[in-house]
Amino acid sequence: MSIPAASMHSIFNHGTAARFGAYLALWIMLIEFSVTNFAVGLLAAAWATWISVSLLPVSNRQFSPIGLMRFAMRLPWQALVAGADVARRAIDPRMPLQPGLITYATRIESGPGRDAFRALMSLQPGTLPASVGDSDAMLIHCLDTRQPVAAQLAAEEALFAQITGGGRTRSRRDD
Amino acid sequence: MIDFLYGAAALLLLLTGLGLARMMWGPAPADRMMAAQLLGTGGGAIALLIATASGITAIIDIALVLALLAAFAAVALTLGEPGTKQPDGQANP
Amino acid sequence: MILVDMFTMAAVGAGMFFFLAGTVGLLRFPDTLSRLHALTKADNLGFGFIVLGLLPQSPDVLSGLKLVVVWLLVQLAAATAGQLIAQFVGLERRRDPAA
Repeated sequence: MSIPAASMHSIFNHGTAARFGAYLALWIMLIEFSVTNFAVGLLAAAWATWISVSLLPVSNRQFSPIGLMRFAMRLPWQALVAGADVARRAIDPRMPLQPGLITYATRIESGPGRDAFRALMSLQPGTLPASVGDSDAMLIHCLDTRQPVAAQLAAEEALFAQITGGGRTRSRRDD
Repeated sequence: MIDFLYGAAALLLLLTGLGLARMMWGPAPADRMMAAQLLGTGGGAIALLIATASGITAIIDIALVLALLAAFAAVALTLGEPGTKQPDGQANP
Repeated sequence: MILVDMFTMAAVGAGMFFFLAGTVGLLRFPDTLSRLHALTKADNLGFGFIVLGLLPQSPDVLSGLKLVVVWLLVQLAAATAGQLIAQFVGLERRRDPAA
């Protein structure tokens, strides 16, 4: 994918600057501060920004900050529930498992949004996305297929759609 | 406190070693690849415990490297998968 | 000071518990993808608890921040790697459903 000429000037927009700032902050946190280190850090951050923009172009997608915060607050709790769920099944002498693959039809368009949703699904208790390719029917591995997995995923999907802008999912592709 | 942290690191070494032995046994290639992931989390946690116990903060960098290696190992596994394109443009057999 | 140490012991202890559960899962779970659940969920939670416990012991704010960054990177690496491995297994099953 080549970058259209019309958007060339937008390479230096605030989205790119924000990424550069984030990489530089990361460098400062990881590497002990000195003038030489900082100079190397500027170069490293510029390089990292260049790679990241070529892999994932800056989009003008508006995130709802409140939705994003609500979502971020849930993550540690979900990680705890999911980890405790696996731990319980592993340690229980009867080992209550009924592993299996299910298909889940997602409404989230393929692309970075769906990739993020996939990553979040792997945080959910008992589910692990194992789908291949861009098919809308995602293959999900469940530890216990007796659980209402599809309903749980649908609820999570609705919440995820809120962050990426008022439930907009399939209808608009370019933004 | 220091003894507690070293003790936790030793116990974690035992647990990670057990897990690694299990994953090396397989049977699937993916099981063996999980050994690299286990090295990332288990080994990383051991490094962080020792870094804090000994006060040598440079050991934190070991945890960092283990985490990155685990990520790249999984990417390498997927790139070597049959049917995917190699950098030279030829599909894997 | 005693309170801080107690917090560290509790959190690191919780982390050890989840690592133990993860290893038990790796040893007991019957199929590859279930073992991947044990690895990506239980062990990552254990890692998170250990980082949480070590945070108040760090000598300065920057070291503490570095611990948090390491934790974030481990989470990111695990989420990515877990999906890649799961996809790999999914592809293998599609080719050979008996596997």
